[in-house]
Amino acid sequence: MEYDSLISLIDSIASDFLFIDGKKIDVPAAGKFFNKLEALIKEADNRKISQMKSVAAGLNSLLEKIVLNDIDDEAGFNAFEKGIILMQKIGESFKNTGGYEGDIETFAESICALTGEQRAESKEQGVRQRALADNEIQDESLLRDFIIEGLEYIDEIEVNLLDLEQEPENLDCVNAIFRPFHSIKGVAGFLNLETIRDLAHILENLLDRVRSKEISVSSRLIDIILDGTDALKALIIKLKEDLEGNSAEPLEIDLAALRKRIECVEQDVPDTVEVKKLGGILVEDGAITEENLEQGLEVAQQSIPPKKNGEALISEGKVTPKQALRKQTGQAADTAVIRVNIKKLDDLIDMVGELVITQSMIRQNSFVLSNSDRRLSRDVSRLSSITSELQKTSTRLRMVPIKQTFQRMSRLVRDLSRDAGKQVAVVMEGEDTEIDRNMVEEIYNPLVHMVRNAVDHGIDSSEERIKLGKPEKGMIRLKAFHRGGNIVIEISDDGKGLDRDLILKKAVEKKLIDSSQDLSDQDIYKLIFLPGFSTAAKVTDISGRGVGMDVVKQAVEKLRCKIEIDSAINKGSTFALSFPLTMAIIDGMIVRVGSERYILPTTAIRQLLRPVEDSYNNIVGKGETINVMGNLLPLVRLYKIFGIEPEHKNPWGAIVVVVEGENRSKCLLVDEILGEEEVVIKSLGESLKSAKGVSGGAILGDGNVGLILDPEGLFELSERLG
Amino acid sequence: MDIDKNMGIVVVDDFATMRKVIKNLLKQAGYKNITEAEDGVEALKVLKSEKVDFIISDWNMPNMNGLEFLKAVRADSKLSGLPFLMVTAEGLKENVVLAIKAGVSGYIVKPFTAAVLSEKIEQIAEKL
Repeated sequence: MEYDSLISLIDSIASDFLFIDGKKIDVPAAGKFFNKLEALIKEADNRKISQMKSVAAGLNSLLEKIVLNDIDDEAGFNAFEKGIILMQKIGESFKNTGGYEGDIETFAESICALTGEQRAESKEQGVRQRALADNEIQDESLLRDFIIEGLEYIDEIEVNLLDLEQEPENLDCVNAIFRPFHSIKGVAGFLNLETIRDLAHILENLLDRVRSKEISVSSRLIDIILDGTDALKALIIKLKEDLEGNSAEPLEIDLAALRKRIECVEQDVPDTVEVKKLGGILVEDGAITEENLEQGLEVAQQSIPPKKNGEALISEGKVTPKQALRKQTGQAADTAVIRVNIKKLDDLIDMVGELVITQSMIRQNSFVLSNSDRRLSRDVSRLSSITSELQKTSTRLRMVPIKQTFQRMSRLVRDLSRDAGKQVAVVMEGEDTEIDRNMVEEIYNPLVHMVRNAVDHGIDSSEERIKLGKPEKGMIRLKAFHRGGNIVIEISDDGKGLDRDLILKKAVEKKLIDSSQDLSDQDIYKLIFLPGFSTAAKVTDISGRGVGMDVVKQAVEKLRCKIEIDSAINKGSTFALSFPLTMAIIDGMIVRVGSERYILPTTAIRQLLRPVEDSYNNIVGKGETINVMGNLLPLVRLYKIFGIEPEHKNPWGAIVVVVEGENRSKCLLVDEILGEEEVVIKSLGESLKSAKGVSGGAILGDGNVGLILDPEGLFELSERLG
Repeated sequence: MDIDKNMGIVVVDDFATMRKVIKNLLKQAGYKNITEAEDGVEALKVLKSEKVDFIISDWNMPNMNGLEFLKAVRADSKLSGLPFLMVTAEGLKENVVLAIKAGVSGYIVKPFTAAVLSEKIEQIAEKL
């Protein structure tokens, strides 16, 4: 009785076995065997029948070999049969005598022999199979898909890595990093991309060991994975370049060095690989370091940290900005997303722009206006409300959350702060705020400079921070939100703050301003954007060469953006950049000169005034000026520039618009302000692209065409004229 | 035995490129009705809404991995008989045993060729 359940299990295995045809145990049959053997092993263990247990366990591992094709089917089948017979024997013997004296060693040995020697053969088979796959699929469109998706996966990995560093215990993070590596490896195997496959494989393995807690998460480990990810990204970008035909120099990835570093982490010994190699698995590293040396100038001959590849790659990353945001694991499933070529979207939005204009022309048509048909006027107004709705919706299509850009910044902060030997945490706010995808690329460079600046100049050293009673770890906050038609991006640090007096002193020293000028705090802060300005006492490879902030200023002006700076000594600084949501629409002020209408970007306008006669001056050598609150600003007569007949020639009869260009303001003379309007920017076409003073055209609400003025260009024109 | 090349096959993988790879291979092998799903959750929806005769699923997926998906299929009385081919990577053989225990119909190791895939499908379909 005692052994009945055991024996019936064995019998059921044996009867299943009888139904197998062709001496081959297939997967579904193996499934049954596995589950029954598992039950048998448990049962044998409970009853302390060690022989039965070990035979069943032997069969279990034999079965594994069979289903994994590690051994020949027929040999496996025969051995399995022997095992079942042996188990039946043991069962009978226990039932009758309560024990078993026979030999199980021979069986165990035969299984070991079977599984041991045949492994090599099946590996060979695997290699052959792969070679076959090589030739079969070399589809270019597959490669393209792989590149796009692969790069997205890498972005995802980076983000999760940074999260993991914050929460080393979070297994979800580890999994979220493991999975993309695994997927990349899988496809790379199909596409015959060996280096990519091997690299992804190394990283995947490493993460697998993190997952099984064989290795603990340390910042060294994160570094290695980040470097590996960078290399992987470089490989994929290289693949892309190759595909596009503009192949750069061959890229060498030192997998051996990476393996070595991984070994060192595993054994928890210091890196044996050279530091320089450590910084970059990529070869291109050298050039950057040399440049640093040249730029070193007065810097004491201390060791300059080698430039990290991560950063170089991130700026390289602008070539391939993320096109669609991958949904986060948590909120998946409920939002269906399709991927659309950005070109198609741009075309659609362009066409909608045309539609809006045509619609407005119909609305302003004299026939329509004079027509008393109520139905027509109702339909026309319906048409215009639909088109304006359509325009809003289509512009929204191109909107993507700012999150991705922020995440790249947080990677940048990590690399930069390490090089600068500072501890900096990044906090993000409002990362779901949406922005035109075409703007994402445009704001990337200015943001990089601002963030660099915050790390290098903003955040103070740990010692100073402790001395001041601040937390040792610095903080950079990235915040985005909508205000009016703009998106505001704030970059704040809790560091030193801007030193008003130092900036002023420096600016006077460098003859960037006149010491007599009376400037507000805001004006003084903005001096740091002037070309050639730098208050950094020493030059590092991060910033301080006096380039950078003026790059910000230029980019920012191109985008019709405004910068506001708020700062307090030892409390930190906040740089707020306010960008238009899209480059396709502009907030403009419509002005009239004679019978012409012009549009001035609202962001450039400082003031509107009707000057009194006394404020007008004409000084020889200096030209015409208007006194605006104590400042003598040059007067620009728009009608002269455009060669038209104005209504007023005397400034005191007309209106003056104070407009800001690059670091200077001037007064534009206009006849009348007609109002403010949101206009759709139309390009003037190739032939007029280089026309100075005009940045585009727009159809105004009344159907008339107006030119959009470019203040800086106008200033240059007026200087040439005057 | 002739395999019905018109049978509905669903390919489940979170990596779109991989789905395309498998789809291409299936097309090379002559199969015509192929649907895709991003993960187990999506696939279950597909299984409820469309006529599917054969499942090819990756192991490693977010939300619901291949094994969980397999278990869900086997636990559903309407779906439990469906052939289920699991795609796995080399070096993850312990997974295969788990899948077999959970009742997978077959497994295939990446990378593979159209011929191997076709053979696997035929092997499994013949048993039905």
